[in-house]
Amino acid sequence: MLKAESILFYLVLVCYFLAMALYFVFLATKKEKLSTLAVLIQLIGLLLHTAAIVCRGVGAGRLPLTNQYEFATSFAWGLCLVSLIFIRKFKFPVLGAFVAPLICLLIGYAAFQNREVKDLMPSLRSSWLGFHVSTAIISYGSFGVSAVVSAIFLIRDRMKDDSFWGRHIPAREKLDAISYRSVCLGLLFLTFTILSGAIWAEQAWGSYWSWDPKETWSLITWIIYAIYLHLRLGRGWRGKSAAVFAVIGFIAVLFTYVGVNTLIPGIHSYK
Amino acid sequence: MKFAILLLVVLTIACVFGSVIPQGRTLDEYLSAYGTRSGALIVGLCLDDLFHSTWFLVLTVLLVCDLLYCNLSRVPSLLHRGARFRDPETAWKLSQAQPAGGGKNASTVCTVEQVPDAATVFEKLHMRPVSGERDGKKTLFAAQNGVGLWGAWVTHLGILLLIVGFVLGQATRQLYTVHGVPGQTLPVGDTGCTLTINDFDVSLTENGVAEQFTSDVTMHDPAGASESAVVSVNQPGKLFGYKVFQNSTGTAAKVTVTKDGAVAQEAILCAGDYVYVLDTPMALFFNGYYRDALDFGGMKADAFAWSTYYNGVYSETRYQAEGETAITTDSIRVTFSEPQSYTLLQIKRERFIWLVLLGGLVTLAGLVLSFYLQPRRVWAEQTETGWTVHGESQKGGAIFRDRLREAAGG
Ligand code: HEM
Repeated sequence: MLKAESILFYLVLVCYFLAMALYFVFLATKKEKLSTLAVLIQLIGLLLHTAAIVCRGVGAGRLPLTNQYEFATSFAWGLCLVSLIFIRKFKFPVLGAFVAPLICLLIGYAAFQNREVKDLMPSLRSSWLGFHVSTAIISYGSFGVSAVVSAIFLIRDRMKDDSFWGRHIPAREKLDAISYRSVCLGLLFLTFTILSGAIWAEQAWGSYWSWDPKETWSLITWIIYAIYLHLRLGRGWRGKSAAVFAVIGFIAVLFTYVGVNTLIPGIHSYK
Repeated sequence: MKFAILLLVVLTIACVFGSVIPQGRTLDEYLSAYGTRSGALIVGLCLDDLFHSTWFLVLTVLLVCDLLYCNLSRVPSLLHRGARFRDPETAWKLSQAQPAGGGKNASTVCTVEQVPDAATVFEKLHMRPVSGERDGKKTLFAAQNGVGLWGAWVTHLGILLLIVGFVLGQATRQLYTVHGVPGQTLPVGDTGCTLTINDFDVSLTENGVAEQFTSDVTMHDPAGASESAVVSVNQPGKLFGYKVFQNSTGTAAKVTVTKDGAVAQEAILCAGDYVYVLDTPMALFFNGYYRDALDFGGMKADAFAWSTYYNGVYSETRYQAEGETAITTDSIRVTFSEPQSYTLLQIKRERFIWLVLLGGLVTLAGLVLSFYLQPRRVWAEQTETGWTVHGESQKGGAIFRDRLREAAGG
């Protein structure tokens, strides 16, 4: 099973990089068919990725969501899934072109991590693990999409409003709304993540909140997005300012995910 | 609102400091890590125990007050807005004030003219309209998700409950740790209870990695009653209203002190424990039991590492094999033996956890209301050339407008 996972993982790498290349050629040549093909390859990549994660789970005899490699590939998976949903829902394949590099970065990061299956330490042997980590994946994926949509928003003005960009990139107002929607999804799931983590920590360590750096950073991320919402709803921050904020929020997400584990030691370090 | 945002920003910055500066170290550690000025500043501003500092508590209390004030003052206006939301008259006024796409409310109201069949528009949007008449013309009106108006209010209520539960819980909780080896009976803080460790087991996986730690314990209350439980990681037990958690483990050893050839003192030491040797100013600190730490000409042996302190001042660290005897003074000899695992248990009584959990669930409900039950209204009136359909979504904005236009075929 783990061998199958290994083969599938390389196929996934190929699919994601190929999809990224196709998206880029699509943007360069403006050939519509290429975007359909790129989305299709991204979808095939997602299916293979799902199979790889399942194989690893079966091979390891547990949920494959516990170390840096497993979480990095799952993060890429979540981002891929959420972006495909948004591409379909808003008929927005150009989104793929902007998300693909991020997915490739994550899956590339995963490829450099130790892929060995290690036994779980006692505290990770909990039924809360699956819920806690999978909600985090969806949440991070949504924040990733919101940051990418916001980035598109910010550079949209630089693109000529010729028929190609006009057809393939939604109007600024709609981009803003899509980014807002994905922040909402991300914040809802982040709330699930934090709550389930607290319930689990209470069982495992006898303390539902210990101000561990990972906990603190997930709270920081949560508050940053709450500020985003207040600025938006209460002070009418739309458009550019909201977009900049969504990008900053995602930097906090990335720090919570990578920075905390590598820069600040704590009980969440997966070491 | 401005104040709330300011508070949230300050809290975020505080949390960043609290996560980057290691918490709960000694002044000396800060001074050596950050230099004299920054180290003193960290301790002076309580950044070394930031999350329990008075100023952090003050910020939290301010936030609670602001939330409370905001939620209480908002009730009348929300009730009023709810009533207006259900009232078709207000919708008509809105669309009349905004002829075809202009005006103050341009971003919330969208109008599509010459729609052949308004009923299908409502159907496509999954809305059930009520029919009526205005100025002799047929009308349809539907308001959906009015409850979503309460989303922020419910979210705030949840956060309020959560913070209040958390602060009360932290302020009133009793928290003790007990560590020892099977056979020991140890006091549980100042509760008057004792805890006997009957057994402690570390189960290993095939690869020799710890799979589970399990302690079998009995608690005795001051009145002489006792209760027993088996606790393991992720499976706490409950004794006399206290929750008992299997927190961690480490190595312990028996230390024997002999004086003038006779056993003068015996103790079990867990890694990190110390004991004063007889009536001398020498304390003996047990660092731990390490694999292959000794090398006898190529032959490796496990070793007990221990340090001596005189009047609290560090003296030296030694590595000693099982049964080996070290001479500290002419007449005192120290022997370590019986390496074993100790169990570290956390014993806690905490009220208000239910309030925190309730707060969390209410917050979640509030977020769902805010984000996924967006209040929206659609109203239509028949004209000579078909129907004129208006739609309003308070937050859905551009996305709702597109959906409405799509449903209306406009
Ligand atoms: C993340 C979910 C949250 C949502 C959806 C939300 C939503 C809102 C909305 C819609 C308003 C009123 C804007 C207006 O109509 O003027 C508001 C105001 C406010 N929010 Fe939040 N909020 C959230 C979280 C928080 C958090 C985490 C806090 C603080 C801990 C907070 C504190 C406040 C305060 C104090 C106000 C000002 C009330 C006033 O001045 O009337 N909110 N929020």
